[in-house]
Amino acid sequence: MSLMEFVFRRLAAMIPVVIGVTLCMFLISHAIAGDPAIMIAGPRASAETLETIRRTHGLDQPLYKQYFRYLSDISRGYLGESIRNRRPVLQDLKVFFPATLELTLASMLFCLLLGLPLGVLAAVRRNRLADHLTRLFSVIGVSTPVFWLGLMLLLLFYRHLDILPGSGRISVQFAAPSAVTGLYLVDALLDGDLGLFRDAARHILLPAFCLSYVYLAIITRIVRSSLIDSLEQDYIVTARANGLPEWRVVGLHAFKNSLIPTITIVGLSFGELLGGAILTETIFNWPGMGKYVVDSANYLDYPAIMAVALVSSLAYVLLNLLVDVFYALVNPQIRY
Amino acid sequence: MKTLKRRFVGAVLLALGAVFAAGAAWAATPKDVLVVGVSSDPSTLDPAVTIDNFDMREIFPVYDRLVQYKVVNGLGTTAVEPMAAESWFASQDGLTWTFKLKPGITFSDQTPLDADAVKYSIDRMMAIKMGPAGNFDSLDSVTVIDPLTVRFNLKHPFAPFLQVLATNGGSIVNPKTAKKAKGDDLAQGWLAQNMDGSGPYRLKEWLLGERLVLEARPGYWGPAPALKQIIIRIMREPSDRRLALEKGDIDITESILVDQLPQLEKNPAVRIGRYDGQFVEYVYLNNTRAPLNDKRVRQALSYAVDYRGLIDHVLQGYGAQMRGPVPSGMWGHNPKAFQYKRDVAKAKELLKEAGYGNGLTLTLIYSERRATWEQIATLLQSNFAEIGVDLKLEMMANPALRDRVANKNYELCLGAWSPDFGDPYMFANLWFDSQYGGMPGNRSYYSNPEVDQKLRRAAEAGDADERLKLYTEVQDTVIEEAPYIYLYQLKAIVPMRKEVEGFVFNPLLESMYNFATMRKR
Amino acid sequence: MPWSIRKSGIDGRKAWPVPGSALWLLLRNPSAVAGGGIVLFMALMAVLAPWLAPYDPNALNLAARLQAPSLAHWFGTDEMGRDLLSRVVFGARVSLVIGLVVIILAGGLGTLAGASAGYLGGRFDNVVMRVMDVILSFPSLVLAMALAAALGPSLKNAILAVAFTQVPKFARLARGEALNIRERLFIKAARVSGFSAPWIITRHVIPNCLATIMVLATLTVGETILVAASLSFIGLGAQPPTPEWGAIISVGRKFLLDQWWYPTFPGLFIVLTVVGYNILGDALRDVFDPRLRGGRL
Repeated sequence: MSLMEFVFRRLAAMIPVVIGVTLCMFLISHAIAGDPAIMIAGPRASAETLETIRRTHGLDQPLYKQYFRYLSDISRGYLGESIRNRRPVLQDLKVFFPATLELTLASMLFCLLLGLPLGVLAAVRRNRLADHLTRLFSVIGVSTPVFWLGLMLLLLFYRHLDILPGSGRISVQFAAPSAVTGLYLVDALLDGDLGLFRDAARHILLPAFCLSYVYLAIITRIVRSSLIDSLEQDYIVTARANGLPEWRVVGLHAFKNSLIPTITIVGLSFGELLGGAILTETIFNWPGMGKYVVDSANYLDYPAIMAVALVSSLAYVLLNLLVDVFYALVNPQIRY
Repeated sequence: MKTLKRRFVGAVLLALGAVFAAGAAWAATPKDVLVVGVSSDPSTLDPAVTIDNFDMREIFPVYDRLVQYKVVNGLGTTAVEPMAAESWFASQDGLTWTFKLKPGITFSDQTPLDADAVKYSIDRMMAIKMGPAGNFDSLDSVTVIDPLTVRFNLKHPFAPFLQVLATNGGSIVNPKTAKKAKGDDLAQGWLAQNMDGSGPYRLKEWLLGERLVLEARPGYWGPAPALKQIIIRIMREPSDRRLALEKGDIDITESILVDQLPQLEKNPAVRIGRYDGQFVEYVYLNNTRAPLNDKRVRQALSYAVDYRGLIDHVLQGYGAQMRGPVPSGMWGHNPKAFQYKRDVAKAKELLKEAGYGNGLTLTLIYSERRATWEQIATLLQSNFAEIGVDLKLEMMANPALRDRVANKNYELCLGAWSPDFGDPYMFANLWFDSQYGGMPGNRSYYSNPEVDQKLRRAAEAGDADERLKLYTEVQDTVIEEAPYIYLYQLKAIVPMRKEVEGFVFNPLLESMYNFATMRKR
Repeated sequence: MPWSIRKSGIDGRKAWPVPGSALWLLLRNPSAVAGGGIVLFMALMAVLAPWLAPYDPNALNLAARLQAPSLAHWFGTDEMGRDLLSRVVFGARVSLVIGLVVIILAGGLGTLAGASAGYLGGRFDNVVMRVMDVILSFPSLVLAMALAAALGPSLKNAILAVAFTQVPKFARLARGEALNIRERLFIKAARVSGFSAPWIITRHVIPNCLATIMVLATLTVGETILVAASLSFIGLGAQPPTPEWGAIISVGRKFLLDQWWYPTFPGLFIVLTVVGYNILGDALRDVFDPRLRGGRL
C-alpha cells in the first residue's frame, strides 16, 4: 500500500468518527441547553414571547430534524449563530482560533526549548544529580493541576514581582495588529511593530509556560529514554571508539535518532494542548477558544459550544493522522 | 557538549531578558481615554432586546432617549428632565402624552431624529416583545403629529409612564437601520452588534471577550465630551480588575469583592466611591409547591436567616437588611414596616405548627452571577440547619436557572433585582401581581387577588397620596405572607483612579457610567 | 509474564516479602516505596479525617473569616471562617473516593468491553472500537466538561463523566491482551470443550489481563484526580459545601491577591497526591510490565 493510499484510507475512516462526534456533541449540548428560547428571550420574557422564539428558531421541531438541519448546515460550512449575541459563530471562531493556536504554538516552543536540553542533560548525566532533578521536575509537571499552576504563576510574576502582565493578549494602549495570520506575534512582526511584538511576547509568556509544563515533563522523559536507548546502539559506540568528541556523538548522532519519538509525542500532545487551553485561558483571561467555550457554557450558548467541540476534535483527529503519516515517512519499516 | 549547552542557555537567557526588560513600568492611560474594567461582554447592543445593565452600559452613551434622569449636586436622581424632547404634556385623563422634540438632532448619516424616528424605535421595540417592552404594557400606539411632535396613546393611565421613557426601551434608533433587516428580524441581527444612535459616542470596535471601544461621535448635538475614547476591557475575575486598577492599567471598575476593599484603599492612587444603591438580593420561594405554599413555612425560613451576620461579615457592612420589598431611597419605602429578625425558637415553632417538626429537606438553586452568592448560599444552609431544614445547594449557569424558574421547577432560588425606573411599581407590581408570574417578575408565583387588585389600582392612579397608601398596604400584606425572603439592599462600590472626575452614580443605572460628562485630571 | 507473577506474588500464599516475589521487588525499589508511602499517607488521612481534622470542615465562623495561617488555623480560614486545614484533610476523602470509583467504573467497563471485543472479534470488535475512537477523538478534558455539564453539576456526575473518558484506555489495553490470549492453548482447549464465550471471557481472558490493567489503573488514578479537580474548579464538579480540593481552589482564586494561602495549600495537596500515584504507577510498571513503557509517562 502506498503512502497516499494509507492517508486516504485513514481519511475515509475519519468520516464515521466525525459523524459520531457531531451526534455526540449535538445530544450533549441539547441536554445542557435545556430550553435555548429562555436564553434568547432574556430575563423577563413572557410565555408568549418564548413560544414565538421557539417557532422562529425551529426549536419546536423534533430533535432528529434539528440534527439533520445541523448536519446540512455544517456541511455547507455554516456553524450557526450564537444565542448569546447573535453573531455568526464562524466569525467569532476566526478570532478565537488563532489566539488559541498562538498560545499552543508558543507552549510547544517552550516544550522543545526546555524539554530537549533537559532530556539530553538527564540522559548524559544518567543516574546523577541532574538526572534525578529532571525526574523530579517531570513528575511534578505531570502531577500539577494546570489551573493551580496558573494561579501560582500569577501570584509570583504579576502580583509580587510585577514583571509580567497577567491577562489578555496585548496591553490596552496597543491596537491589535493587522489580521494576516491572526497570530499577534507574527502579525506584529509583519507590521514591523517591535513594540507591539514585545508587548505580545510578554503577555504570552506566563500562559504559554503554564500550558506547556505537563508536556514539557513528558517530552523531557521521552528524550531522555530514547537518547539512552540510542547511546547504547552499536554505531554510537563505534563513533566513540573512533575518537569523535563527546558533544558530537551526543549532539549529532544520538540526538538525531531520539527526535522521532519526540516529534510523535509533540504531535499527540498538540491536540491535547488545545483541550488544556480551556483552563489556562480562563486563568489568564486569554481570549481564545477555551475561554470562549467556557463563556458560552455560562450562557448555554449551544451553537458556540458545538462549534468549538467540532473544531477541536477535528484538529485532534487530523493531528493524530499527521503524526501517523510523519511516522510512516521517517520509519519505512512501519507497515501501514 | 559544554559549549553547545552554554551557547544555547545564553541564547535563551538573552531572549528572555529582552522580553522582561521591556519597560516594566506601564504607560498610564492617556488623559482623554477612559479605560473601564468590567466583568463581562455585553450580550447584545440592541436597546429593544435587553434589560441587562451590562448592555445598557454601552447602549446609553450611544443612543438618546426623550427624557433622562436629572443630576442634582453631582448625584443622580430618579426624577426626569428633557433629553431629545424639548417639552411635553399629558392629557387630563392621563391617556395621551405629547412630546415636542428638540430640532437639529441628527444621526451619523444626517438622518434627523424626528417623530418618525421615535415612532420607528418604539414600534420596533413593541414588536420585538422582549424585556424592554414589558415596561410599556400600558402603551397602545404612537402617532406622528408633525416632524417634531409625537404622541403616545395609552390603553389605561399609567402613573410612571414618563419614567419608563428614560429606560433603554425608549432609546431612539436611526430609522434607516430598518434596511439592515434580514427577513422579518427587524434588524435584530445587525443591531445586536452595531449601534446607530444620536448620542455623544459611537461604537468603534468590539473584540469579543477582550474589549469594546467607544469613540466620541462627530456632529453630536450636545457639548463635546472630554473623553474622546472609552475602552471597556473585559476582565472576568474581580481580583484581576482590582490589580489592574492599582497598577493604572484601568481607570475605573466595578464589582470588587468587599474583602479586597481595605487593601485597595491603602493605595493612594485609588479612590473608592460608595453610594446608596437600590440593588436588592432576595430569595424566591416557590409558592406553588408544598411545603412552601404554607405561609408558616415561609415565615419560618424568614426567621431562620442570620441577617446581621450576613451583612456584617459576608457583606462587610456594605448593605442593609431590606425592610419590605420597596428599597430605601425609592418613594413608597416604608421605614416603619415589619422586618424579620433571626429567631430560631420562633422559626422552629412555626415549622412544628405547619407539621414539619421533624425537619424537612429543601433545595436552593443559584448561579455564579454574583460573586457573593456562594457564600450566601452556604450561610443559608447553615442557618436553616439550625431549625431542622436540610438545605441542598445546586449551582448552575444563569440561563439554566431561569429555565427552572420559568417552569416553576424549583424550591428556593437566589435572585437579584434592580429597578429600571424610579417607581415602586418595579418592586410591588412586578414582584406580586399574579399576572407577572414567572420570569417577568413575580418569580415566586405569589397569588393574592386582593393584592392584585390594589396593585393594579396603584399603577393607574394619578394621585400620589392614594398610590402611597395602596403600596403601603400591599407591603404590609406581602411582608406578613413572606413569599420571598427579603435579604438586603446593597451599597454600590465604584473604585476608580484618583484622576477620574465627574462620575455620577444613579441607583437606576447601576454598573453604568456617564462617560459624556466625566473627565480625567 | 503476568501469569508467573500471579503464581508467585499477588496470589501467593507464602509469607511476604519472599525474595523474587513482586512485593519484594517493589520494596527494593526506592520510588515504589516513596510513591506507595505518599499514597498510603493520603489514604490514612482520608480514613482518619474526623480524628485528624482540628475542626468541623463545614462549621461556619463568620467572625473569623479569611484569617492568615496561625497556630490555631495552620492553613488559615476561608471566606466563611471555616478551618482550611480541616477542609483539606477531609478533601483527601473526596479525592480518594473519586480515584477509586473512577478506576472501578472505567477499568471494569473498559476491561469488559475490550476483552470481549478482542476475544470475539468481528463486527462486535469493530463497533466497540469505533465507539472508543469517537470517545478518543475528543480531548479528554473537553469531553468530561461537556458530559458533566449535560448531566448537571454534581460530584457524582463529574465522576461518571471522568470515568467515561477513561474507558477507551482500558478497552484498548484489554483488547490487545485478549488478542494475544485468544490464541493461547488453554483458551483453545476451553473453547473446544464447549465453554461459552462469556464464561471464557470472565474466567480466563480477564484474569489474564488483570496485572497489566492494574498497572494502568494506578497510572490513571493521578490523571483522574487532576481531571476531577479541574471540573470542580470550573464549577462542574463537587458542590458546596463539599471540601473538594479543586472546588476550594476555585473559590480561593477570588482571594488569591490578599489571602494567598487559601488556594495554595489545597493545590499542594493535589500535587502531592498525584505525584504519589504517578511514582507508584511508574515503579509498578517497571517491575511488572515493561511493555507499557513505550506509552505515555
